[in-house]
Amino acid sequence: MSFVWESSVLAIIAFGILYFLLNKYAFGPLFSVMEKRRELVLQQMDEASKTREQAVSYVEEQKQALQQARQEAHNIIQQSQATSSNQVDRILEQAKAEANRLKDEAVRDIESEKNKAVEALRSELGTASVRIASKLLEKEVKADGEQEQLVDQYLKEVGGRS
Amino acid sequence: MRNMHKSPVIMLGGLHIDLSIVLMLLVTCTICLVLGLLATRNLSVENPGKLQNFLEWAVEFVQGLISSTMDLKKGRPFLSLGLALIMFLFVGNLLGLPLGVVTDYHDAEHAKIFGKQIEPVVKELDRLHAAADPASHEEIEVGVAWWKSPTADPAVAMGLAVMIFLLSHILGITRNTKNYFKHYFEPYPFFFPINLIEQVSKLLTHGMRLFGNIFAGEVLISVILKLAALGVGGWIASVLGLIVWQGFSLFIGTIQAFIFVMLTMVYFSQMLETHDEH
Repeated sequence: MSFVWESSVLAIIAFGILYFLLNKYAFGPLFSVMEKRRELVLQQMDEASKTREQAVSYVEEQKQALQQARQEAHNIIQQSQATSSNQVDRILEQAKAEANRLKDEAVRDIESEKNKAVEALRSELGTASVRIASKLLEKEVKADGEQEQLVDQYLKEVGGRS
Repeated sequence: MRNMHKSPVIMLGGLHIDLSIVLMLLVTCTICLVLGLLATRNLSVENPGKLQNFLEWAVEFVQGLISSTMDLKKGRPFLSLGLALIMFLFVGNLLGLPLGVVTDYHDAEHAKIFGKQIEPVVKELDRLHAAADPASHEEIEVGVAWWKSPTADPAVAMGLAVMIFLLSHILGITRNTKNYFKHYFEPYPFFFPINLIEQVSKLLTHGMRLFGNIFAGEVLISVILKLAALGVGGWIASVLGLIVWQGFSLFIGTIQAFIFVMLTMVYFSQMLETHDEH
């Protein structure tokens, strides 16, 4: 086995060329792709964490909105309860007033009807008694207005007392 | 008894060119290049193909190697080098395993390629002819191995080691000048010769470890192959031995590629080491 120093030089040259070609056409692009992938992964992780933060804040917002809505619903129910009870009171009040009014009216009607009837009865009785009296006293008492007025006055006094 | 296979060295413009080394370096570089280009042909960020995944795994492996010896920020420029080196060594170490191409030459006249004499063969033939007993007509032949691991050649392994040695010292001188020159005289000035020897021994062991492991593997493979000539028993032993030893050589080749790159990174980190941080 002989040592040929030219072979050493050849080996160095061959490896140099191989290194140059591989570095330029194979490793360079490969390294850049690997670097790109590393960046992509970092970016995606970053994005994922951002998205998670957003989701958390959304959930928080949703919770608050829900809480608010619940509060509002509660308020509305309470309000409507208050309103309805108010209304009931008012309607009841109105109904009572109406009833009272109707009763008063009826009482007044009855009163006026009674008065009318009394009036009618009185005038009827007056004329009837005048007639009776005139029939009885046809000859003694002239059928003039003075007598009739007198009778009326007496009858009124009688009716007023009754 | 046949001799060790010779290398097909020819003279070309005053230089010794080992044609088998040229061939194997070309094959190794081509395989690495094709592998690298195939793996990065359809690069995709989101769904990488199988080869891309494999190469990315290799990248991460080398990254792990670098980060175990130095700060990854400092070591990033060496990632390409480490990756190319480990691919080259892995392919180179395993190339010698599956097959061997050997041509035999009987006389100096025919020991030629591209019209050039194959020097070691001619020399060996001359030596054998001179030593041979003229009375016996034993046939003289010399084998030339064309296909082998490029790293099973000491010159190639040492060449790579020298390359790393030079690179690491250039790095030390340019990036870490003060510490580089200071460390030769540490802990005391009279340690200078020892430090020098340390540097040289690093270079030698770096290259020779690789060469020795791969070369020994190939030698043992050729020895096991020769067992087959001993008859049926030898043939069976040869097949079984080959299966075991090829598997082990696969392992050794991988480990040696790993060790070579690992040591490269260690040497780089030693050269870049600043003592300020301690």
